[in-house]
Amino acid sequence: MPQSSSSSKKHGTDQPDIGGPASKSQRTKMVKSSDDTEKKNLAKKLKELEISVPIVYGNIAFWLGKKASEYQSHKWTVYVRGGTNEDISVVVKRVVFQLHSSFNNPTRVVDGPPFELSESGWGEFEIVITLHFHNDVCEKPLHLYHHLKLYPEDDSGPMSTKKPVVVESYDEIVFTEPSEGFFSRVQNHPAVVVPRLPAGFALPPPVPLEDADKRRRGDTKDHTLSQWFSNFSEADELLKLAAARQQVQAHIATLRRQLSLIDGQHQQLKSASDM
Amino acid sequence: MDAKDILLGLPKPTTTPTPLGHQLLPLPADKKSRPPKESQRKPDGISREVYALTGGLAPLMPSVDVNHLKRRAQSENEKITWQWLPFTSSARKDNLQLYHWVRVVNGVPPSGDYSFAKYNKSVDVIKYTDDEYEKHLTDPMWTKEETDELFDLCERFDLRFIVIADRFPTSRTVEELKSRYYSVCRAILIARAPAPGDIAGHPLVKDPYNISQDVERKRALSMVLSQTKQQERRDAEVLAEAKRISEARKAAKGTDELEVPAMTDTVPDDNDGAAAAVDSLSPSPNAQFTSGAIAPPVSEIASTLASLRMMRVYLRTHALEQMVQAASSSAGLRTIKRVEQTLQDLGVNLKPKVPTKAVCAEHLELRKEILILLNLQKQLQYKEAEGSSYRDGLYAETPGTPPKRVQRAVEQDRTFVPDSFSFGGERMGKRDQKRKAPGRLLEGPPSPAQSKRPRKFKASDG
Repeated sequence: MPQSSSSSKKHGTDQPDIGGPASKSQRTKMVKSSDDTEKKNLAKKLKELEISVPIVYGNIAFWLGKKASEYQSHKWTVYVRGGTNEDISVVVKRVVFQLHSSFNNPTRVVDGPPFELSESGWGEFEIVITLHFHNDVCEKPLHLYHHLKLYPEDDSGPMSTKKPVVVESYDEIVFTEPSEGFFSRVQNHPAVVVPRLPAGFALPPPVPLEDADKRRRGDTKDHTLSQWFSNFSEADELLKLAAARQQVQAHIATLRRQLSLIDGQHQQLKSASDM
Repeated sequence: MDAKDILLGLPKPTTTPTPLGHQLLPLPADKKSRPPKESQRKPDGISREVYALTGGLAPLMPSVDVNHLKRRAQSENEKITWQWLPFTSSARKDNLQLYHWVRVVNGVPPSGDYSFAKYNKSVDVIKYTDDEYEKHLTDPMWTKEETDELFDLCERFDLRFIVIADRFPTSRTVEELKSRYYSVCRAILIARAPAPGDIAGHPLVKDPYNISQDVERKRALSMVLSQTKQQERRDAEVLAEAKRISEARKAAKGTDELEVPAMTDTVPDDNDGAAAAVDSLSPSPNAQFTSGAIAPPVSEIASTLASLRMMRVYLRTHALEQMVQAASSSAGLRTIKRVEQTLQDLGVNLKPKVPTKAVCAEHLELRKEILILLNLQKQLQYKEAEGSSYRDGLYAETPGTPPKRVQRAVEQDRTFVPDSFSFGGERMGKRDQKRKAPGRLLEGPPSPAQSKRPRKFKASDG
């Protein structure tokens, strides 16, 4: 997992140092003599890699209780956040939330983190969330679809104004064939999962984003709604999957044995009847 | 007289002497026999029939708030009357005086031209002089009279060539008329232009009307439109097959490490060869059956990987969906349902709740392994059915009957499968005999081969 050091500071001062200090002198020699081939190798290597950003998107809805009117019975917030509540604005430039046409200006654009939108209403509908990425990341936008949920699943009990309805989905954005600039810019960012480059590959220093100075706090670790965020752990699912695979593999082995047994028996029968 | 009254009759008909003799006449307005009408009142504001359209119930949510509707402006300040007045239209060339209702405000009728006159548009058809005709427009196929007639009709009918073709005195096709018209226009344009460069950009000059191309295009269009459904389907199939094959070949070229099945190499690239490709592909899945149907999806998986890479950005859940589809591409709907049922039995989510790279990879592998498992089960059934026919010696006696017996045995076995695939150990056979599942056809009249060998074989694990 990437460390949480700020990338721009580190790469401003010296060359990115992936190998140990001992190989540094070797590498500088290599860089001078075979610059071209190394560039090509780097480009080829980058083409095979993928960078992924875990995200969680969904909504939290509070019933307004006494203050509820016919058309505004709930206050809800729809959002996209980093999987571990890190700042995804390193990758995401802006997010567009497309609401139901009965809302005023149903196309809501959020230009910076936290990428969320709060509204009040009474109806549940599908929200199209479009993620636009920075220019060096990807030119195509990505669409997410979330069904806004206001009412609890079970009708049991009265609705409470204190306990909201929360629906979140975990997913990962995968970027294939990342550009050098993108790779170097995010390789140490906590919100991004970046594979290690093998020793011997050197990256140029990253170019920081245009509006890097006006960055407000983009992570959601201390967000007002963070107490309602779900925890997504892959460990449980991996465990279950591993157990299931074991069972299936055991059955496969059993069946294979049975099949070879039958084959043997058929051979016997066949030769018997031929006589 | 209601139809119901006629059919059921009223409880107390009286006979009344009439000129035609005694007849049964129904009593008028017997209130008890008529069922009471709806006791609820209809809502005011809309008529009863309109209310009934909603099903007789008021809507649950107010659809339109009355406050949101716009009010008609200034209806109080002015006096509105409607008068039957004459009017003229600039679109008419004769001086025909027509009348219509006019909304008069405070005694002042509206001014201006007739409101529909602005729609009277027509095409500017070129007018050539006789001189110009002599110099530029003569043509061996066309007389001057015909050309003049054509242009007159074009003007009258706004270049609607189909109408013009109908009315043309000598029989000419639509394309011929168009060709003559456009070539005349083009010649005039070139002749009248002060310098050739001025009109070089004009569409008529740049792309002149090509009569043979137009004829061909219309012929092709009519062919496409008149295709029968069967032909359409066959064409669509062939094209889809060709597309899949070319994608597979592309993916196979891109990823050298994956082994490509032999069939994709022998397939030619163009559409004409696609028909041959369809034939060559269809028998091969059957031939590959014993290998467990793993080879055909390899090309699908490769092409899916390649297309995902080309997307540059995608969601991992989307990628997993595509890969699952590719891996199950050779499986039928029933098999896919069985895979999903198996996943549920194992307590695994059909779509992972935390789709990380590792989780998705494991999920995909699990699905592939389940497919292998189901295939092996099917193979086992077939082999067992074969085995029972061997034992009865039927195979040696009459080669004709065994295939039928095998098929029947397999059919009976097929319903058996969900029962036999139970988790929790080796005692598969014993558990099944205890079960009384509704799907078991073995309760019915079994074939002799089956009854001799009830699941004893399965209970013994090697």
